[in-house]
Amino acid sequence: MTANNYHEEEVLGKAYDGRLMRRLLTYARPYRVQLIAAVILLLGGSLLQLLLPVMVQIGIDRYLMKGDLNGLARIVLAYGGILLAAFILQYLQMYITMAVGQKVQYDIRMQIFSHLQKLHLAFFDRNPVGRLVTRVTNDVAVLDDMFSSGLVAVFGDIITLVGIIVALLYYNWKLALMTFIVLPLLVLATIVFRKKVRAIYREVRIRLARLNAFVQEHINGMTVIQLFNRENEIYSDFLDINGRLREMHLKSIYYYATFFPVVEIISAVSLAILLYYGGLQISAEALTFGELVAFIQLVQRFYNPIRDLSEKYNILQSSMASSERIFRLLDTEPEIIDKPETSKPSVFKGKIEFENVRFAYKEGEDVLKDISFTVSPGEKVAIVGATGAGKTSLISLLFRFYDYQKGSIKIDGQDIKDMPTKVLRSQLGLVLQDVFIFSGDYAGNIRLGRKDISEEKLKDALKKVNLFDYVMKNGGGLSAEVKERGATLSTGQKQLLSFARVLAFDPNILVLDEATSSVDTATERLIQKALDNLLENRTAIIIAHRLSTIEKADKIIVMHHGELREMGKHKELLEQKGIYYRLYQMQFKQELVRATG
Amino acid sequence: MPEEKIKFKERFRIIFKHLPKYRRYLAWGVVAVISANCLMLINPYLLKNAFDKLENKAPSGEILSIALLIVGLAVSSGVFRFAMRRSIIWMSRKLEYDLRAELFSHLQKLNPTFYQNNKTGDIMARATNDIEAVRMMIGPGMMHIGNAVVSTLIAISFMLFLSPKLTLYSLIPLPIMSIVANRLMMIIHRRFMKIQEYFGILTSRVQENIAGIRVVRAYNQEEAEIDDFSGHTGKYIHLNMRLIKVESLFYPILFMIAGSVNLMVLYFGGRSVIGGEISLGTLVAFFAYLTLLIWPMIAMGWVVSLYQRGTASLDRINRILNSKPEVLSQPDSIKDIDVKGKIEFRNLNFSYNGTKVLHNINLTIKPGETVGVVGPTASGKSTLISLIGRLYPVPWGQLYVDDIDINKWDLHTLRRQIGFVPQEPFLFSDTIVGNIMFGINNRKNEIAEKAASLSVIDKEVEEFPDGYETVLGERGITLSGGQKQRLTIARAIAIDPRILILDDATSSVDTETEHQINYRLQSEINKRTSIIISHRASAVKTADLIIYMENGTIAESGSHEQLMDLNGAYARLYRMQLIEEELKRM
Repeated sequence: MTANNYHEEEVLGKAYDGRLMRRLLTYARPYRVQLIAAVILLLGGSLLQLLLPVMVQIGIDRYLMKGDLNGLARIVLAYGGILLAAFILQYLQMYITMAVGQKVQYDIRMQIFSHLQKLHLAFFDRNPVGRLVTRVTNDVAVLDDMFSSGLVAVFGDIITLVGIIVALLYYNWKLALMTFIVLPLLVLATIVFRKKVRAIYREVRIRLARLNAFVQEHINGMTVIQLFNRENEIYSDFLDINGRLREMHLKSIYYYATFFPVVEIISAVSLAILLYYGGLQISAEALTFGELVAFIQLVQRFYNPIRDLSEKYNILQSSMASSERIFRLLDTEPEIIDKPETSKPSVFKGKIEFENVRFAYKEGEDVLKDISFTVSPGEKVAIVGATGAGKTSLISLLFRFYDYQKGSIKIDGQDIKDMPTKVLRSQLGLVLQDVFIFSGDYAGNIRLGRKDISEEKLKDALKKVNLFDYVMKNGGGLSAEVKERGATLSTGQKQLLSFARVLAFDPNILVLDEATSSVDTATERLIQKALDNLLENRTAIIIAHRLSTIEKADKIIVMHHGELREMGKHKELLEQKGIYYRLYQMQFKQELVRATG
Repeated sequence: MPEEKIKFKERFRIIFKHLPKYRRYLAWGVVAVISANCLMLINPYLLKNAFDKLENKAPSGEILSIALLIVGLAVSSGVFRFAMRRSIIWMSRKLEYDLRAELFSHLQKLNPTFYQNNKTGDIMARATNDIEAVRMMIGPGMMHIGNAVVSTLIAISFMLFLSPKLTLYSLIPLPIMSIVANRLMMIIHRRFMKIQEYFGILTSRVQENIAGIRVVRAYNQEEAEIDDFSGHTGKYIHLNMRLIKVESLFYPILFMIAGSVNLMVLYFGGRSVIGGEISLGTLVAFFAYLTLLIWPMIAMGWVVSLYQRGTASLDRINRILNSKPEVLSQPDSIKDIDVKGKIEFRNLNFSYNGTKVLHNINLTIKPGETVGVVGPTASGKSTLISLIGRLYPVPWGQLYVDDIDINKWDLHTLRRQIGFVPQEPFLFSDTIVGNIMFGINNRKNEIAEKAASLSVIDKEVEEFPDGYETVLGERGITLSGGQKQRLTIARAIAIDPRILILDDATSSVDTETEHQINYRLQSEINKRTSIIISHRASAVKTADLIIYMENGTIAESGSHEQLMDLNGAYARLYRMQLIEEELKRM
């Protein structure tokens, strides 16, 4: 599971919401045949189970009392047959229901995941990863509970209850009515118990969440506690919170400790009624011994369905809460969508134009102000600027991760909003500063699911970034596992791997956010060489942190506080003695000092 | 098996430590379990008597008295059943409280090294899930096993008394049932664990997709991701289907075996009734006894898994309880005297997790002096100052406070005199005033207000709707990084320490506010021994002594003027930052 946020208290709402339920049931529609079959099987299974006491009654009255050994054998055989049949029906029913639950779970999970692939990036900025992961994983699992053990089982419980009542009435309606006297008591006891326990558990959950939040917070702040000598005070606070939880738990014990004996007493009362009143009936020859035994056995079967039904309430309640969260996510519309009349795909020559582009993540807080520049095909452009100058936002716009508010961005004269994002992105290559390595093997990390990249091309890409030998010798080959988030590769090697990725995809326009992290000189040289290979024959926009990259650039764009402040070649910009000059002194002179010793 | 006995004792040490105070609950529990089951299990025997009397056409008054007796027994058994939960489960909840308190108290003694080597999530799991698993083992586990054993013994005795032969026949399916149910539960558990494991994979797959969403989009890999995820989900479903195949067997099999027990009774009992060996009443009593036996049989398997889970959890909890605190006060430590504030590093060397972090540190700070520390990240600055608060074990003879080896100081006495402002501003989800006065017992509001004013946070606090009573954190308001830092400074000043340590405490504060803080704090800093780490050279310019650290050593030291004259790393850093500030204003 993901990192738990213990502050998030589980908030439970209504147990039933018709609107949500109807929408949930649409997921069951494709499997209605199976579900109907399950209900029929359930009906059969429950009725067969109820036949068993009837068999006992027949056995006693017709054969036992009359001393018929063969008849006894026959009825026992029939009993065995019914047992077996009930077993098969029940097994099939449970299997089918649970299987449907799984299928529904698959469908919903895939729907959420696919939907996430369509949502705009701003959505991901707003929602923490953990929360979204929970939607796809845990929330769906809760729904599975409802489909596989909730819905159909409710039918089963109701059928069983009705079956028992009918059977009792059929045998002897007077005796049946007498035993029904305790039924309201039983239902009442169950309802009261459930209600009390539910209320207490709500409180338990709140107090537990509080305790967990307290522990988590103080584990995180342990150094502060120790430095400020607060161990005793915090410990007494902790005991207080711990005690509050205990208090609730202890309170709940009374309900359990009362409920179970009460059920036993009620069942004893019904047995007593059966014995006394049934005995009177037997004396009056209005009831047989077998029927009395059947009565006793049937009445025992009352308790399970009633208890079950009340448990279903909890399942229903949490599935309502989960489905509400899921539907809210599914109802979030993607904000960046292709226009219907997008033009046909073409191969970019690589001319990029920014015209008066204005952009803000949040209304009123402009991150980019009136940016205009042009990149000619084949040109290499370096973007420099201090942190927060707007460099990353600039390249995010080019990929249409976000839509800008004003101006236009054109590639080969065509506005990027007028082309399908797929086509746009297929022509652009992106290397991020913080290289993202997927779990899986080396090949998978370069191909990223594009099966049309041949093994040749893959090896070629690795060779061009000087990673081939490493992968083959030390890395364990192309199909060796790269650990999650690149634990087995050094920072420099991760960069090289991401270069190989771009080379394999071979885009016409390359967008690169150079890594700032320092690597050793040998790796630096490798990266330098690989970078040269990467830039060959491509239009490139580079957020530059390396002096060499900047010196080689055809054009340097200087960003400052969201504005394009200076533009030109390295020498020209230095002569201006403006922002670039100072940035150069700050960032690159240091590098120069280090490089020359 | 003495070795296993030792292991058992060692493993349950923490439980045995607390159990004695609950011996009354335990005694009550035993009495209640035995009494409740004895009383309950008389009922089927009474049922037999009733049937016998009915067959012999006894007067209805006799039946009535049996019926009333049945109710009476159920009521008295109910009282004991109530007592059973009230004692055993009650005790388990109290024990849970004790265990959690013991764990927390131990956690408070452990040092940063422990917290760096153990994820918060793991520690939380110990304090929550594992403690609950131990409780389940002790509470419900003991209760159910007690019930199962007692009721089985009593029921079988009654049955043997009524008819040894029929007992033998009717019990045939039960061992089979117990074996089948156990076996099934084991398979279910195994398959379930596989599913859980795969659920983890599924989760990390989703997490990866979302964390890498930019790459996915930039490379047009949405479809491929969906395909791949569909494969994983499919595999997950497949594993679930494997589970379902056995899981859906479980209840039908239980029903089936319960039914076959009845079938045995019906057949063999029926034959005996026909043969006149037993009465119909005995047959009915057997039905009743066997119904009562089925649940304990199931419960036994459940208790086994409770025990397995409980001991595994106990082992994990013990692992924390057995980690020794690295830093403790010596038995004859120096207590309750005031610190003057002289700090002396004598050729100090310090290693952390096997790597040498500080080399040959020689530094003497006189009481009341101010020392500025600058240098690149990971040069050992923070480690150096954390040793003064003894956050890590300090080697003997290398660090002295007031000419006394730091290891000789009582931890509390020493720390009470240190105002520490850590690099990461950590505040508690408490009120602002509670956070500022975190370190003091004598909570007067003037102290908080004064500290807030010195740290230049007073104006902002007063603007919050609840002022100093404003709650911070998830339940309250979220502060900016700079505001948090200023509150942690206020917290440190509030305890009026002899030694003030600021670890890059104004890194998120804007320059103007920083100047203001420096201005207001000046008098406070002058009063005490102060050590100020900063990534900005200008912030420590006026210090009595500035040290420049690099790779765990003091590379340069002296006053600002001396270091500028030296024209080394410090001078370079200072000049660079001048340009940076100039750039910001452009």
